Amino acid sequence: MSESHLYTYGIIDDNESLALNVDGVAGATRAYTVSYRSLSAVVSDIETTDPERTDAAVEAHNTVLQAVLEHDATRAVVPMSFGMAFKNARTLKGVLRGARRALRSTLTEIAGTVELGVKVLAPGDDTAVDTAAVRSDVTARLSALSVGETENDCFTDRLIINKSYLVEHDTRDAFDAAIDEIDAAHDDLTVRYTGPWPPYNFVDIHIGAEQAQQGGR
Amino acid sequence: MFVLDDLFVNPFLSLVDILQTMALDELYDTSEIRDQIKENQLLYEIGDRPADEYERRKQELEAQLRTAEQIRDQMRDRMEIKN
Repeated sequence: MSESHLYTYGIIDDNESLALNVDGVAGATRAYTVSYRSLSAVVSDIETTDPERTDAAVEAHNTVLQAVLEHDATRAVVPMSFGMAFKNARTLKGVLRGARRALRSTLTEIAGTVELGVKVLAPGDDTAVDTAAVRSDVTARLSALSVGETENDCFTDRLIINKSYLVEHDTRDAFDAAIDEIDAAHDDLTVRYTGPWPPYNFVDIHIGAEQAQQGGR
Repeated sequence: MFVLDDLFVNPFLSLVDILQTMALDELYDTSEIRDQIKENQLLYEIGDRPADEYERRKQELEAQLRTAEQIRDQMRDRMEIKN
């Protein structure tokens, strides 16, 4: 029988242990937590420390993080990038120990917030759009209701805006209402509103990649 | 200037090699294909692209991406390709 390793999805506060029945990476059906002091890593069992990056695997990674958010919408989650698999709990705890300060600081920064995605697209036909005016209007409405924002890649000519916003839970309803207003004010445009997501675009921690590969040191 | 820089850096590269590499690099630009994959997905999600067209385009683009990555890997073995 193959040795079982730990695939890591994200890090949460250790307020409670967590066990979720959810489809994870590499056929996993259950996610649970491995704790070190006040931090917990959300993990599932996996037979390799080098999981293959496929569309399905990346989607499964996101699905588990979404499930953690759905379990408790107020919970802060530091998402790990795809592919972080550790040899065993000892290795993982060593990584948590090494990155504890950065992780605690990030959890504090993102506590009480969620990431929301906003895309605004021009019509598919040749209808003229004042893109500068649209950008100005949308940005003015949404920036006031968020505590952070990032500009994402406009990968098609139709994208006028592609942004991620970090929004406090208390402001979420007002943000939703602002999106409705934008949609109504620009009925010739398409507004794509997604989330809540773990704050992928507002977290920049690189931990344990070498330790994950080397394992057990 | 890309061509002149490369010739200064590596005088053993012929101009033909460099121009060929530039052409292949443009032809097999994986970032452009990835953008088209994301565009296809987005247009499907907002209902501007029907499911059958989305699936057909998706398979076409994924095949293009695999080919482009294979060719870029092979070219890298021959000479460095600028990203």
